[in-house]
Amino acid sequence: MSNNLDFRRYLLHFAFAALAVCGISASAFAAPTAYPLTITNCGRSVTFEKAPERVVSVGQAMTEILLSLGLADRITGTAVWFSPVLKPFEAENNKIKRLADNDPSFESVVETDPELVTAEFEWHVGPNGSVGTYDQFSKVGINSYVAPADCAAKDNATGGDGVRKEMLKTEVIYREIAELAAIFNVQDRGEALIARLKEREAKAIASVARVKVKDIPVIFWFSSKEINGEAFMAGRNGAPAYIMQALGAKNVITTNEEWPLVGWETVAGLDPAIIVIAGMDRRRYAADDPAVKLEFLKTDPVASKIDAVERKHLVVMDSQAMSPSIRLVDGIETLAEAIRQFGLVQ
Amino acid sequence: MQRNGRGGFAALFLLSLAALMLAISLAVSIGEIVIPLQTIAEAIANRIFGASFAIKPVHEGVIWDYRLSRALVAASSGAALAVTGAILQALLRNPLAEPYVLGISAGASTGAVAVMILNLGSGVLTLSAGAFLGAVAAFSLVSLLAAGAGGGTDRIILAGVAGSQLFNALTSYIVTTSANAEQARGVMFWLLGSLGGVRWPDVFLVAPVAGGGFLICMFHARALDAFTFGTDSAAALGIPVNRVRLILVGLTAVMTAAVVSIVGSIGFVGLVIPHAARFLVGPAHRRILPATALIGAIFMVLADIVSRTIIPQQVLPIGVVTALFGAPAFAFILYKARRPV
Repeated sequence: MSNNLDFRRYLLHFAFAALAVCGISASAFAAPTAYPLTITNCGRSVTFEKAPERVVSVGQAMTEILLSLGLADRITGTAVWFSPVLKPFEAENNKIKRLADNDPSFESVVETDPELVTAEFEWHVGPNGSVGTYDQFSKVGINSYVAPADCAAKDNATGGDGVRKEMLKTEVIYREIAELAAIFNVQDRGEALIARLKEREAKAIASVARVKVKDIPVIFWFSSKEINGEAFMAGRNGAPAYIMQALGAKNVITTNEEWPLVGWETVAGLDPAIIVIAGMDRRRYAADDPAVKLEFLKTDPVASKIDAVERKHLVVMDSQAMSPSIRLVDGIETLAEAIRQFGLVQ
Repeated sequence: MQRNGRGGFAALFLLSLAALMLAISLAVSIGEIVIPLQTIAEAIANRIFGASFAIKPVHEGVIWDYRLSRALVAASSGAALAVTGAILQALLRNPLAEPYVLGISAGASTGAVAVMILNLGSGVLTLSAGAFLGAVAAFSLVSLLAAGAGGGTDRIILAGVAGSQLFNALTSYIVTTSANAEQARGVMFWLLGSLGGVRWPDVFLVAPVAGGGFLICMFHARALDAFTFGTDSAAALGIPVNRVRLILVGLTAVMTAAVVSIVGSIGFVGLVIPHAARFLVGPAHRRILPATALIGAIFMVLADIVSRTIIPQQVLPIGVVTALFGAPAFAFILYKARRPV
């Protein structure tokens, strides 16, 4: 029975890969966008009379998608950076004005005279945006677009990092790429990018199709405010949960919060087989540095006794790969590689 | 209610001590991982008496390094915060005085955050030292403000409000200007207080501070009684008013700083507990202080259990729990303390 299921999944992966290959060949025939273009974005309807010439991008993941679509020359300003930009875009990105590392002010966005402001997070641009609300931007003639990943079935009204009601999937990233490609009339580039990402995703999933144990229990540790304190662990529905589900692993944390604070006693009780720790350049909280996390796992009287730690089933993954971004596929590849390395595949 | 009987007080004291022991035992037995009572006893015997019961290392670690140290820090912090509240209420002759309301906690937080984020003192200053300096700065500022406003018991509370706002703003400023984009809302969470990261070294810092502070206060119990009738009456009774005030205010700053640097800023414990103690044992400080310390310790241990267990897999900041209980109690005290119209 289970073998049969495995085989069916295998076929499915094969079909995925085949589709992805077809996608590449079809991409050359993408039609140009017909304006005015109206799309539904975060529960409201947004209309574009023409492809925007000038755009401000608030949020690193958003900026990296625009750069991947070859739109560097149309970006008049960026803000909200977590880590260095993806290597291939370094030179282009250095030429673009960085309005702020964190939240830019409303006026600094308006000053660059954009036609459109795009945001990765609804709390920057949204009904109660800290940078500006939809209304504030539309009053000065600026259109706004927010990443569907941040508002599709996610509640940002609570504090913290929000609460997801349904699981984030790469599909929503692909949708975002397709929408942005349509807005900027670069559909062929959008389709090619999506096809490449889908192909990589399918390949990584296929590489661990034959795991020894179903539902490998995994936990994602982002950071902690004090090294011995409670840890920000990935919740049930965020990007890390999708990575785990896609690869046949299981997130042992079952709350809807995006990054709930979890005590180490809880982690020890859940006994994960793999611990994924975030690597990042940020150095704000005590446990931001992955080396510090590894040291804690080695020395803490309880954490050091967790099976995954004793077996050294620890993976360092770039923090951007744990967020709704095009780097999510890197995350899938990283965990797939680890599952193979730890000998959990037949 | 035997408020004044010596026997009654002794009985109450022993009862409270037993309740504290019970609360700590509960804290050690309750948690995400279900551990049988026998295992808990064996783990503690292993560590204290060097016994060699065979139990899972994870279990032993959870009981000894996580739960027990945490419960002891909670008890010490609760006692320290409650006692500082009792001292301030006596010194300032104000039923609403406590470190949180007077901005001392806010100042300590600013000091701790400055050391943590700005690397102020470039590694020489510890978190606790930073918190202490912040606490002293806040209390000095608030006292100056109150004195400048003509003194009086109401002024000090108003000055405390202003001081709290100023130091909270400073903390926010440090956090938002020197933090990176992500979870800039998150550091504020730490300021609500959390016992998550405490280990034995923290016990060895907070417990002596709480215990030592308590003993020094007990030594000044008579002076505190005198202060409740005003400084003039205290001076008339032959109490060296300025010296005692300086000692007690310094002690308040040390105790608040120790607690804030280890568990963050926790409000309402210092405000509510002394009133509960007064209600139970009457107005004499030689009784109020032990009662306050014990009830504060019990309250904090129980609040920590609630914060750890109310949401499965997640932790609620303990400051949220204390405020949930403390804010209504604060309102009740206000109502009781109302002036006849």
